[in-house]
Amino acid sequence: MRRRCVCKWGLESSDRSGAISELLSQMPDLEKRRRQLLQTALESREQAGATVVHEGVSMPHCRSILVDDFLISVGRSADGVAWPDEKVRIVILFISPVKPGGPEEHSELIRHFASRLRDGGAEKLFDAEGASELADMLGLEIPGSETDESGS
Amino acid sequence: MNQDLEKLITLHDLDVMIADLSRKEIRHQEEKLGLEADDAQKMLREMRTEFTAQLDRRLLAQYDRLASHYGNAVVPAIGGRCSGCLTRLPTAMCSDPERNEQIRSCPTCGRIIYWAD
Repeated sequence: MRRRCVCKWGLESSDRSGAISELLSQMPDLEKRRRQLLQTALESREQAGATVVHEGVSMPHCRSILVDDFLISVGRSADGVAWPDEKVRIVILFISPVKPGGPEEHSELIRHFASRLRDGGAEKLFDAEGASELADMLGLEIPGSETDESGS
Repeated sequence: MNQDLEKLITLHDLDVMIADLSRKEIRHQEEKLGLEADDAQKMLREMRTEFTAQLDRRLLAQYDRLASHYGNAVVPAIGGRCSGCLTRLPTAMCSDPERNEQIRSCPTCGRIIYWAD
């Protein structure tokens, strides 16, 4: 079964912090304070080492007790986001819950994205023509995407 | 939300990240993607040291004691239960609209509770 995601086609931010904030704001049912704490966690991980996993692709991620299910938000920037030393155009952000079996599922999700990026998969992401296609390439689905092609 | 509670949640998330980078499988996956697990973990440990220096000593001692005993010191209340020990929490505690405005502990296990809903 495909995991659900939200997608921001057309990230406006030009910096890492702004892009993370934009992607978190796409997530439904995430009230402001919780969103800010998740931003802190993700930025801590980034400060410890930028998560650029392929040229032009970053993957900010963490596990947090603030979520009870996987949250995945994908963004695409036309002009690129400074991450911070190199520009990325695709951002795959995900947060996994802290629960029994959580580390295994988190690891499985990293492995899933790694498999999608391998063998030219990362380059293909740049050719996606819309949010639904980008999500599909990543093995994800956007709820209601048939009626909302923008995904935003 | 109580500021000390927010700090404890942030500390917990930092500890989860540090622990995850010690887990063989997560570490392996991250390294396959070209991420430097060792360096990231070292940096996160330094960040933790800096962060805990700003915390109230009594609170930090409580957190460390719970974390060393249970592995998780802060847990969400889910469906009126402590998600750490699954004991039903007192109704008055759960129905208090200001329930996240102070540090509250599960009466049974002592873990620090927060309400996400």
